[in-house]
Formats: sequence, C-alpha cells, structure tokens
Amino acid sequence: MRARDEFFIGFFPIPPGLRPFLAAIAAALILLFAVAGWFAASTQAAPDEAGFRFDFGRQEVTGVLSLHPYPVIRVTEGSERLAAGRTVMLSGGGKFAPPQVAALDRRLVKAGGVILRRGDLDMLQIGGGERNLSAAEGDAPALSPPERLGRWRLEGEICDGKCAAGAMRPGRGLSHKACANLCITGGVPAVFVSAAPIEGATFLLMAGPEGGPLPPEALAFTAAYVSVEGEIERIGDLLVFRIDPATLRAL
Amino acid sequence: MQTAALLIDLARLWLWAGAVVSVPFLLWGVGRVEPNARGAWIFRPLLIPGVLLIWPLVLWRWLVLETGRDDWAKRHLPPRRAHGFAALLLAVLIPLTILAGLAIRQAPPSGAPVLLAAPE
Amino acid sequence: MSVSYIPVQWNGFKHRYNLALALAVGLYLWIFVELGPALLGHASPITPPIHNARAFGSCAFLMMSVILMIGPLARLDGRFLPLLYNRRHFGVMTALVALSHFLFVFNWYFVFTPLPSWEALLFSNTAYDRALGFPFEAFGMFALLALLILAATSHDFWLSFLTPRIWKSLHYLIYPAYAAVVAHVTLGAAQGVRGLAFPALVWALALLVAGLHLAAWRKERGAAAAMGEWVPVCRPEEIEEGRARVVRLAGGERAAVFRHEGRFSAISNACAHQNGPLGEGRVVDGCVTCPWHGFQYRVDDGCSPAPFTEKVPTYRLRLRAGLIEIDARANPPGTPVQPLEAPR
Repeated sequence: MRARDEFFIGFFPIPPGLRPFLAAIAAALILLFAVAGWFAASTQAAPDEAGFRFDFGRQEVTGVLSLHPYPVIRVTEGSERLAAGRTVMLSGGGKFAPPQVAALDRRLVKAGGVILRRGDLDMLQIGGGERNLSAAEGDAPALSPPERLGRWRLEGEICDGKCAAGAMRPGRGLSHKACANLCITGGVPAVFVSAAPIEGATFLLMAGPEGGPLPPEALAFTAAYVSVEGEIERIGDLLVFRIDPATLRAL
Repeated sequence: MQTAALLIDLARLWLWAGAVVSVPFLLWGVGRVEPNARGAWIFRPLLIPGVLLIWPLVLWRWLVLETGRDDWAKRHLPPRRAHGFAALLLAVLIPLTILAGLAIRQAPPSGAPVLLAAPE
Repeated sequence: MSVSYIPVQWNGFKHRYNLALALAVGLYLWIFVELGPALLGHASPITPPIHNARAFGSCAFLMMSVILMIGPLARLDGRFLPLLYNRRHFGVMTALVALSHFLFVFNWYFVFTPLPSWEALLFSNTAYDRALGFPFEAFGMFALLALLILAATSHDFWLSFLTPRIWKSLHYLIYPAYAAVVAHVTLGAAQGVRGLAFPALVWALALLVAGLHLAAWRKERGAAAAMGEWVPVCRPEEIEEGRARVVRLAGGERAAVFRHEGRFSAISNACAHQNGPLGEGRVVDGCVTCPWHGFQYRVDDGCSPAPFTEKVPTYRLRLRAGLIEIDARANPPGTPVQPLEAPR
C-alpha cells in the first residue's frame, strides 16, 4: 500500500521510510537533553564560601543583648570562636528572630547556638528554650558608646544576614529576593554587603534612619546592587549603617 | 497582606466549588453528555483536577449539551487565526523581554565608599 | 479513537515515545542534580534544594521549548508529525517537572516564615513597579497554573466535551504561559548569575521557538476564502489518488476534496477529535485518515467505521466546465453523499 509508505498512523507500525528519521530524532532529543543538562549545570556560579559551622561546635557566650535595630549580642565573656568585645548578630531558626528575645533587651544574657560564617560576617543561630537564651546573673556592664564614623555613600547589596552568612547558598541575588524579604520581615538582621570594604568591614548591619529596623520601602531594593547614603557608626567591632531610604538607587 | 489572604481564600473557594461540581458531574453528568463515557468509570477520577480548575466552563458546557443547543458546525471550525496571533505574540514579547532583561542586568559594582560628611 | 473511555490509551509507538522522553528528561536531571556538584567542584556547594529547583526549572523550560517546536516543525515538514501524535504525554510530563520546580522553591524559600507560606509567596516581594527586583515568581505561577490546566484537561474526554474549538482556545494558554516563563527566567535566574552563558541558552531557545512559529505561520497564510454557494476547487486530474485538495470556504470553514478509486468526495477538513487537518491525511483502507492521531472517516459519509462513533460534515460536489465545484453549505456530520464520477 503506497499511501502508507511515508504516512504515519500512530496505532500501526511506523512506515519503513520514516523509521530512520524518527530514530535520529529520538537520539537527537536524548543527546540534546544530556548536553543541555551538562551545559546548564556547568553555568551555575560558585556561591561565596559560607555556611553553618557545625564543625566549630556549640558556642556559648555571655553578653549584653540589644534589639535595635536587630538582635545583636555584645560579648563580655566569649567562647572559643567568639571572643569578648565582639558584637555578634543573632537569628533564630528558620526566617525568625531568636525566640523569647523581646523581654531581654539591654540585659546581660547567656546565649548558645551555632555559628554561620562568611568572611568577617558571623551570625549566631539560637535555638528555642532557656538553655539557648536566658538572662544571666548580674547587671549589664557599661559598654563603650557607639563611635560615629560620618555620613557615607556605599554601593552594594541589601541581604538578610542569615542567608548571606551561608544559611542558603547562594543567599543573595534576585532569585533569593523574596526569601531575603521574608527573613528581614521576620526579624533576622538585615546586612549591607558593601562592594568595597569600609573601615575594614564588608558586611554592615543595617538600620533605618532613626536606628530602628529597615523601613518597608527599602524592601523594594533588596537583592540587587544599589547605592545608598547613611550614617555609619561602630558598635564594638560591628559597623551599623543607618540608611536614608530616600537615597536608595538601583545601580 | 490582606490582599494576599483574600486571594488565597478566593482560590480555596474556587477549588471547593469545583469539588462540589465534580460530584454530580462525574457520577451522572459525564455519562449523560458523552456517549463514549457511558459505562466507563475507571477514567473518571482522572477528570477531577480538570473540573476543580475549570468548573464554570464544565457547568456551561453541561448546560449546553443537556439543552441540546450544541452547534455541530462549530465543532469543525478550529480557532485558526489564533496561530497567527500566538506567533506574533511570541515574536514581539520574547525579544522585548530579552532586551529588557539585558537592559536591567547589573555588573557587580566597583564604586569605593564615599565619605560625604565627617563625624561631628 | 475511543469506543469507551479508559484512563490512558497505549500502543507501541506511545511506549517508545515515552521511553525516549523519560530517558532524555532523566538524563538531564541526573546530569544536573547528581553530576553537577562534582562537575562544578565548588568549595561551598549550592544548597541542594536550590540546586534541585534550578535543575527542574531549567528542565521544564527546555521541555516546554521542545514541545512548542513540534507544532511549527510538523507544519513545515510532515515527517515531524509523529512527534505531535503523543505530545500530550510530553505536556503532562512537563507540568510535573514544572510542579517539582515549584515545590523545591516553595518548600525552601517560603517555609519557616512568620507569614503563612502561600501569603509569603504572593506578597513577600511587592516591587511590581520596577523591572529590576520585579516579583518574577508571579510569572512562574501563572505559567504553572496554565500548565496544570492543560495537563488536567488533556484526556480525550475534554476534547469531545468542550469541543475542539473551545479545547484548543483553552490550550492556546500555552503561548502566554511560555512568554511568562521567559519573563520569569529573564527577571529572575538570568539576573542572578554573573556570566551570560545560562541566560544565553534560555534566550536562544526562546528565540528559536518564536522564529519557528513565525515561519510556520507565514507558510500557512495563503489564498483568501472563496465566496458563493458553489465554489470551484480544481480540475479532477490535479488531485492524486488517495489524497485531497483543501478549499477555503466563506466563514472560515475548510473542506477537503478527496480522490478515492478515481471518484471524488468532500468532507470537512477539521477532524472531529482535535480538528486536525484531514486534507493533509490519506485515504487508507477506504477511510480518510487524520495525520495527527489517525482518526478515520469513510470518504462517502464522513462516519468513522464501526465500532467508532466520530462523524464529520460532508459536502456535495459537481462537475462544471471540467472543474470540480463544491457546495459551500455543509451537510450535517455523517450525511452520505454519492461520490462524484469524473471522466478520464
């Protein structure tokens, strides 16, 4: 039957004239997917070296807790990895601030958890329960006042400090923007990743103009490269960048 | 946030309505409007996701078929023009999207920090 | 060609089609997910759920692109028609891969949050007023919803119940969905990477899809529809045995005039199943056979042979001054018409 030589009917055997073509298509399809898979996988850029440091073991420090703009602890009695004198950002599990933190503002506390580290950025993730965060005996000691470093214009990216420190790799970029916004909304410290170091620091804790958390309008600018102006001050060893949201500009 | 919660409630309501429609449709409707489906039961659960998603269309077609208003001529009038429209849509939107994507692409910044005002 | 509906109709060709497809998709995912991390050798590897989301997302995009190439390729070169035959299985598989991509993203970026996850998905980023930082997830969600609707309505029941016209209109959703996926990748993943290699792959595929559609559309555009009750078709000898000539009639209708055993019959060009182009089919065993899915109709009455029940409209023919003419008023589906005898 001549009509059937090249004419494909699904429920009949494939016409002999079409078989080599279809075999070639099937082989090409499989090859295309294999090569595309290899190519697409090979284009995935390396995230910055960062992550949970379970290898450091649990860190327990004593210090003064501050909730403004975001939870940090100014360490007075350090651990192996977090020395006294440091100011360390704190987060809870998931996209939350540390639990039960509200009542402990400006008090001497004992905090325990695991470190997330990226370069000179440290974040201490604190689990639930008294064991991980509780008031310590004694009054909060007097600490050195913030040192004002002037008004600056910086270029870089607004991230959430937890993912940026390696809770997610990569924890930056627009694919991660929604997650960064959720972390920041959830009370995880917002961090400015500066394109160039300032006073030796690449990661600055961010604050709103009055020293509170980031204003909501700043969330439109997270996860992309921006330039922004604001006052910088040093608290312990941590730089805090109090931005003026009106100066936020995408680069 | 209220808008988000409202949208999610609406979506939930939509799916529940679909679930309500799917019961009589799958038990009786399918067999009434589709001769090939009479006595065929095993394939019916496969239709549930479709009914959940497009139940208003299901109700409308059910009504049309029940009332004998189905126009046989329309069954043989495919929407051919849509091919041209789809081709043009892709030919315009895809290059525009790519151009927009290239225009907004950012290189990592290299600007050094600028001290605007020294501390008082 | 169902007599009675069953969940999935299988045959040898579909098994081989799906096997090739599963091999291709499985290989893509295996290379990306399993070999990828070793291939990259990053000191700090990409977090697995993010890596998986990228693997399944990029795979779904490739699958969608290939699916969308099948239609125009088949219109440009008939040898691609067998790929069209089982395209719906390809589509359902694509919807599942895209859904996996969504679940990896959703269960990683949008969980353990102070907001309920679904609300977080919709409103953690509200920068709808700008291109850079636009909530590209919205494009992805639209496309996924479209893919799910298409997959959920892919059973032949839906074609018959909704009619091919409405079913096809609904399934044209694939085009805005594809455009949305391109925007989803362009405003999201393509912005996050430093090199242009990955965006270039995505954009090249998207441009290829758009280019093929334009090419196929240009080929389709042709003569205008003829007006009048009796429309001239062609001289009898211009139609090959077992083949057809397609005529455009007023009102967008098309009829296919077939020659079978030296006599001429006309039926609608639109198959009752999915409105496939019957005029591009052949007469096999006395039946016009659709080039898309092999549905068959007797030439002289437009009825599928028993036990099948599909029917297409028929048309009357006459010979005038050596030309075959067709009556533009279609007969109801399944109306017998005496074939036209033409002098040798």
